[in-house]
Parts: sequence; structure tokens; C-alpha cells
Amino acid sequence: MIEFRNVKKIYTGGIHTVALDDISFIIQKEEFVSLVGHSGAGKSTLLKLLYAEEKPTSGGIFFNDEDISELTPKQLPFYRRRIGTVFQDFKLLPKKTLFENVAFALEVSDHSDKEIRELVPQILEIVGLAHKTDSYPREISGGEQQRVAIARALVHRPPLIIADEPTGNLDPISSWGIIQLLLKINKLGTTVLLATHNKDIVNRLKKRVITLDQGKIIRDHSKGRYAI
Amino acid sequence: MLLLTLSRTFKSGFTHFRRNGWLSFAVISILSLTLLIISTLIVLSIAASLVIRSVQDKVDISVYFKGDVEESKIIEFRSTVLQYKEVKAADYITKDNALQEFKSKNSDNPLILQSIEAIGDNPLSASVNIKAITPDKYEIIATAIQNSSFRDNISRINYAKNKIVIERLNNILSTTRKVGIMLATIFSLIAVLITFNAVRITIYAHRQEIEIMRLVGASNHYIRMPFIFEGIIYGFISAVAVMLILFPLVKIATPYIAGAVSVKEVQDSFIHYLWLIFFIQIVTGIALGTFSSFIAIRRYLKA
Repeated sequence: MIEFRNVKKIYTGGIHTVALDDISFIIQKEEFVSLVGHSGAGKSTLLKLLYAEEKPTSGGIFFNDEDISELTPKQLPFYRRRIGTVFQDFKLLPKKTLFENVAFALEVSDHSDKEIRELVPQILEIVGLAHKTDSYPREISGGEQQRVAIARALVHRPPLIIADEPTGNLDPISSWGIIQLLLKINKLGTTVLLATHNKDIVNRLKKRVITLDQGKIIRDHSKGRYAI
Repeated sequence: MLLLTLSRTFKSGFTHFRRNGWLSFAVISILSLTLLIISTLIVLSIAASLVIRSVQDKVDISVYFKGDVEESKIIEFRSTVLQYKEVKAADYITKDNALQEFKSKNSDNPLILQSIEAIGDNPLSASVNIKAITPDKYEIIATAIQNSSFRDNISRINYAKNKIVIERLNNILSTTRKVGIMLATIFSLIAVLITFNAVRITIYAHRQEIEIMRLVGASNHYIRMPFIFEGIIYGFISAVAVMLILFPLVKIATPYIAGAVSVKEVQDSFIHYLWLIFFIQIVTGIALGTFSSFIAIRRYLKA
């Protein structure tokens, strides 16, 4: 489903930084993969390349055999609708209710109001927030905010969810709740790519772990543990 | 589909406008100021052209004929002069007319009237008053007359006397125009820059929303539209606000700036141009708002 083929990413701003160095791996459909590594190991860069926020310096990134570095600016939004993204800082709009935050993702992709009225409550039900649709982000806990972000990422029914440190701002109990939610989504058939440096979570998951260090893959185990 | 996008983006633009009360207020104030400067310059140029026209109407040159020249010769002169392309009008003033006018002008001065009576004969000359199409043509006309076959019948041309006034008027005219254009350009440029920056700030305030829109797969077009609509709303409201300020301003200010021209004339022509000014403002306001939004949002839309 996803293939990185000899991907290199060099930032050439003030300082010449090699963020990713000759990365190659394949993720199959419906896999649950954890991406671990220290800060600055290249996790975020790898994810940015995958949701096409950045372009690789060299190499190819394929999503269902389509090279995403060759997407035109016009095609890009359609590609992004096939990927759900979740971040450490939730990225919710503070002036919109939970319902509106999730509906927002559907509005921009031209779904009808009828579809939105049907889909949004369904998805909020899945993440366990059906009773808070009219609350604002500031009125709910961090764990709940991350659930809303996941609901928004899921509402397009994308085949892939990318989560960049989704538990970074959460306490251990909320964190595990979020991971369980991602596992549930994975069971329903969505591929999940989780970047984290939470050791407990990775060890409890007992799923595939790709370990990055200084822009290189140093380990890739199918039932991996957090070991750096 | 298109209609759905339009209605959604318009709604979203309107919501931005409403929810960011202070920012909207700031942008509208700045945009209004811009438009006010531009329209003040328009009004001033209307007033200036009225003043200039009224002064122009008062300037002429008179050609006086010798006492023994036949009336038919003067009439022939008038029709010849009228054929010059620089001449707008030429009026023949007979000796009798000149005397009557002289008497009525000095009706409150019995001494002068008495002395006229004492002379018995009409001491004034017949003349032709000539108006040029523009003040800078008097020189040409005067020279042409001096070199014509009529020069032996002419006693004098009072061009020399009017020359200084006419030249000064010419100078004022060209300076006013130059300064006007320069001021308008400078102010418009400053105003455009300020408006552009104000709009940039509103877009900066929405950068998180733009980022999220991109992440969830909104097209650039969809992201841009609300800001364009917001720009249009700014432009429209500013134009209306400026008209509300400008109208009473013109009413109050005209007596001070009108000078030589009647106040009524200036106000009438302002009302005459009212719709044109309003139209220019709406167009300028909307164009400024839209253009600024369009440019300012570009940096957030990199692929």
C-alpha cells in the first residue's frame, strides 16, 4: 500500500541537514506500524513526505502504486482526502463546536449537508463523543480533543491514518484510550502509521516497529519493542 | 456543486468577518480612509475644474478699432476671427453699446457721467471681444490679428494688459494638474500598501484554519474563496461608509473651497457625480480587498 523507495530528504535552509537518508520500506494494507526514534530522528519528516507537505530530495514514495511526489497541486487535495492525519496539538478550530470541527472536513470536499448530518454523528459515536457534539474544544479534556481530531481524520473513511505523536500531550490513561481507539480503527480495516516515543505504548502494542535514528532505519521488526 | 462551494465559502467569509469584530473594524477603517483620500481628491479636482472654468470665462482679449472704421469692416473682421480654430467666441461691441455699458458701470459716479455728457460725442471705440478655447491660445490669436490685413484699422489690442493674468492662469492650471496627479498617486500607493497589510494580518489570524483546511484536503480554491469574499465585504462596507462621511463633508466644506464659484454649482456637480464617485469607490474598495486577500493568502497555499 505504501512504499518508500530510496528516499532522501535534505533541508537546504541555513544549515544543510540530512533529515532522511536512503529510506526504504513497505507497509501492507491494514497493517499497524509504529515509527519510533528520538526527537530529530526524522519521524515527522517521514510523515510530512507521506502526506505530501514536503517533497523528497530524491527517491520515490508510492501510495497504491502512485508516485505522490509527482502529484500536481490540483491533485494534492484529492490525495489528502485519502489520508487521515492526527497531531500532538490536535489542530482543532477553537471557535467551532465538535460537530462543526468534524463537519469541516466534509464541507471542504463538497459533501452535501444531508451527508454531513448523517456521517458526523456516526463518527462521533465511534470515538465515544456522541453526547458532546455541541461543546467547544476548550470545554473538553485533552484526551477528548484528540478523539475529535481522530473523528475528523476518519470522517472521509480514508484507507490510511497517520498519527504524529498523538499522545504527546496526554496523561497515560488518556494515551492508552487513544491507542485503543486507533487499534479499533485498524481492526475495521484502516492502515495506521503511528509516530511516537512513548516506550510503554510501543511495548504494549506488540505490533510492527520501525526504528529511525539520524535519518536512517536502524531496525524493522514485525513484533517489535521500543529499543534505542 | 459550484453553488454549494460558493454558498459555503461565502458563509465562511461572512463568519470570519463577524467573529473577528475588531480586526474587521480595523481593516474597514483603513480601507475607508483610503477611499476617503481618493474621493476627496476626486471632489477637489471637480471643484478645481469648476473654479478654473469660471476664471477662464472671465478672461478675454479685446480688439479696439479706430474711430473711422466702417461697421462692415468690423463685422468682416469678426467673421474672419471666428474662423480661427483657436477662437471660441467673438462678440462685436458697437460704440453705442460700449458707451451704455460704461455708463451703467459708473452709474454711481456722477462726476464721470457728467464729464461724458460734457464731451457730447461718444469717446469710446467699437471693439470685438475674443474668447479662446483655452487660455494658452491668446498669444497665437493676438499675433495672428497683428499680422492680419486688418492691422491698419485696429487702434489697440489689450492683450498685453491681460497677458500677465492669462499666463498666471496657465501656470496655475498646469501646476494644479501636476500636483493633483502626484498627490493622488502617492496617497493611493500608501493607501494600497496599508490596506494590503491590514488584510494580511486578518489572514495571518486564520493561518491555523488554513493549515487544517489543507490537511483535510480542501482545494486551494476552496481555501481562498472565504478570504476573497471577506475582502469584498470590506470593500463594500467601506465604500458605503465613505459616502456617508463624504456627503455632509462636501456640504460643510464647499463654502470654504468654492471661492470664485458659487457654492450651489459645486454641490450640484457633486450630486451630479455622486453615483460615479460611489461606483468608483465600490469598485476600488472591492478590487483592493480582493487583490490584497489574493496576494496575502498565496504564501499559505504552497503545495
